[in-house]
Amino acid sequence: MNRTVIGLNLKYFFHSIVATLLMFTGLFLPYASINDGRKNILSIALSLTGVNEKSGLTLFMYLTIVFTIMSFVLCVANIIKTTKLSFKTWQVLQACATAFWTFLLFSSKSILEGGNLVKGFLNKNLSIGYWLGFVFAYVALVFIMRVTQTNRGYIALTIMSVIWVFPILWIVLTALRAEPGYYVGYFFPKHLTLDNFAKLFAADSVIPFAKWWLNTFIVAMCACVINTLIILATSYILSRTRFAGRKAFMNILMIIGLFPGFMSLIAVYNILKGLGINQSLFALIVVGAAGAAMGYHVSKGFFDTIPRAIDEAAIIDGASRLQIFTHITLPLSKSIVVYQALGAFLAAWSDYIFPSMLFGDKQSSYTVAVGLYWLTDFRRIDAYYTQFAAGAVIVAIPIVILFVWLQRFYVEGLSGSVKG
Amino acid sequence: MRKDIISKISYVVCGAANVACGQILKGLIFLGIEISYILFMILTGFERLRGLITLGENVQGMAFNEELGIYEMSAGDNSMLILLSGVVTVVITIAFILFWLFTISSGRAALNRAKEGKHNNNFIEDIRSLANKNIRFLFLSVPVVGLGVFTVMPLIYMILMAFTNYDSNHQPPGNLFDWVGIKNFITLLSTSDRLSATFWPVLGWTLIWGFAATFSCYFGGMFLAMIINSKGIEFKKVWRTIFVLTMAIPAFISLRVVATMLGEKGIFNVLLQQWGFTNSALPFLSNGTWARFSVIIVNFWIGVPVTMLMVSGILMNIPGELYESAKIDGASPFMMFRKITFPYMWFVTTPYLISNLISNFNNFNTIYFLTAGEPLTLNYYKGAGKTDLLVTWLYKLTKDSNDYNLAATIGIIIFVISAIFTLVSFSRSNALKNEEGFS
Repeated sequence: MNRTVIGLNLKYFFHSIVATLLMFTGLFLPYASINDGRKNILSIALSLTGVNEKSGLTLFMYLTIVFTIMSFVLCVANIIKTTKLSFKTWQVLQACATAFWTFLLFSSKSILEGGNLVKGFLNKNLSIGYWLGFVFAYVALVFIMRVTQTNRGYIALTIMSVIWVFPILWIVLTALRAEPGYYVGYFFPKHLTLDNFAKLFAADSVIPFAKWWLNTFIVAMCACVINTLIILATSYILSRTRFAGRKAFMNILMIIGLFPGFMSLIAVYNILKGLGINQSLFALIVVGAAGAAMGYHVSKGFFDTIPRAIDEAAIIDGASRLQIFTHITLPLSKSIVVYQALGAFLAAWSDYIFPSMLFGDKQSSYTVAVGLYWLTDFRRIDAYYTQFAAGAVIVAIPIVILFVWLQRFYVEGLSGSVKG
Repeated sequence: MRKDIISKISYVVCGAANVACGQILKGLIFLGIEISYILFMILTGFERLRGLITLGENVQGMAFNEELGIYEMSAGDNSMLILLSGVVTVVITIAFILFWLFTISSGRAALNRAKEGKHNNNFIEDIRSLANKNIRFLFLSVPVVGLGVFTVMPLIYMILMAFTNYDSNHQPPGNLFDWVGIKNFITLLSTSDRLSATFWPVLGWTLIWGFAATFSCYFGGMFLAMIINSKGIEFKKVWRTIFVLTMAIPAFISLRVVATMLGEKGIFNVLLQQWGFTNSALPFLSNGTWARFSVIIVNFWIGVPVTMLMVSGILMNIPGELYESAKIDGASPFMMFRKITFPYMWFVTTPYLISNLISNFNNFNTIYFLTAGEPLTLNYYKGAGKTDLLVTWLYKLTKDSNDYNLAATIGIIIFVISAIFTLVSFSRSNALKNEEGFS
């Protein structure tokens, strides 16, 4: 086999053929141990064609067989005449076959029980034929991708994205589900509706969600502006000016930061009570702003990377420090400003501990975090689960949009102003 | 000679030196602040400091009112408020001492300038200098006041509380509490009491959790970032966005959702049974060991995208020539990871890893929203559960059982642990600074 084809790495050709053959033989070996002995997948599929009320998932079984055979055919075709196009086709078919062998792992129970072939099926009853097909489908795919010089990372990325997206998909589907309740025995809702969203904002709703949302929005916007200003000002001073006590100030901040923050919440609460502003949104904003300076590290690190020569030049030109800050430093640090603003907004948006302690049972002041957590209490979860999901979606959507849109700044902010 | 006298006077009368140098308004403001502090101390301050020592003497109770001839409720001292106002006084005093030092140095500077015949700023010019030379006073005043009032003061208050017996049996206003020295630390750390039998396992789990959570996310995120950034992957941005989605959803939402999904009748158990993996519901969050694994895995799900984003930037900074020459020498991808990528990453991210470790020891959100520390166990002190970290236990002690002294003690212990790790990180990063850098 000393052929060469441009664009293909035929070193692994032989491996791919063997793996595909092994996967193909999986079709003829026993698929699962069911009541009357062990049958291979082909005979099971044949016997299922006669059954009228079979599970819709049976299609997966047929498609597995079809793609496996087609991949085998392409394998033979490539042995006879190897071209880049036919190899690519083989790769696509093998990818489909692999996907369906994987789906079978999750749907065998439904297929076999739906066809009345078996009762109380568990995946440990699957036998050699299935496992051979499953494992070698992946092995063959890896080798074929090596031949076509495709990055094997796609396999891992696909599997990981499914796992990562799964909970998100679940919450979106729950938000759209018409059937109420937490304990439902299926993934895809039977009926779709937008009622859950409407109910949250209805005037007669038990849940003052619109109020919560507005509260959170006010607090988050104020935090976004005030905290960002405070952080930027603090880190500008610590980065650009030198004065006695600067190091001491930074050390004190670091030491304070090592204490768990909410250890002192009780005292903060009493101080707020003494000032007469407890149980109000204003208190939330004030306390948030008061602690903002602690998070100066990232932006100080960023300011440190802006050349000091720029400042010195401006001073010679007669600019004041304040003017340098507003006219030179800030415009140069767009990404860190966005990073801090986004961070401040997000932190205020999803803060739970302090608001929950501050507001107690005063529901009208709740922020969404406190409110939604309150909804998932075990006494309420069954009645309000779909509405909780709808609320979660509404809360998450603005953040997701912001985040995806500003992702670039986020990464840039973390890596400093000077690019490597 | 005259200068000496004025400077000595200004130790006692703040601003005297400034007035003598023509900065009259400034000097008067200094003097005004001093007078108001002295008035405050005479009127209430000393009384408050004395309260700090006794923490209140009169217990609330029934007192005989001779005029009316009946027993009536007498309001006792509220130890908590006495402690708090004592702390406020102490903080004000510290602030005044700092202010006093500042006036002295300001006065001395003014005298020196006057002696050298230089111009001393008048008040308007002082205000103007806030935007220029003295911009630190303008920019730092708000953060410093904020931190002082809402962070330092409460912190001192809570630290002091660790040395009192302010627990559920000594709740003001009904009861007084008092200083007990380091008794709380001894009960928590050494005796074979129920408390220490809770503390050590919780501390152990906190450490295990911290390391497991940090390193699983670190390697997972690095792996993911390496795949996405490797050559031949198309649509890098799309892949990245898919994973960033989980990061963008506020943690309290995704964690609550996942917690409901992992419940006994949650969707994971339903699906696992439908797919034929198991016959009965798995105790994801209701069995101690299962719950510990579950929280680590869910944290992996949340934490990997964060690391992925951070690592992406660093990976791109590794010089490509290193890989090319390694490839020519016939190194396998694993070899390249072991000899090039990993050492580089390790070098750059050690400080990040350590700060991440500390924040994971204090990872309140993940634990509280997922399990709230449950499953509970009878072996532990009231309220603590198998997945409780020190911080969540601290929170429960303040919120549910009002054992503030224990909570404060634990807070100090957490501080000590974090401080140790920070010191390690510092000594390490200093060592690194002295090297030539990664080469």
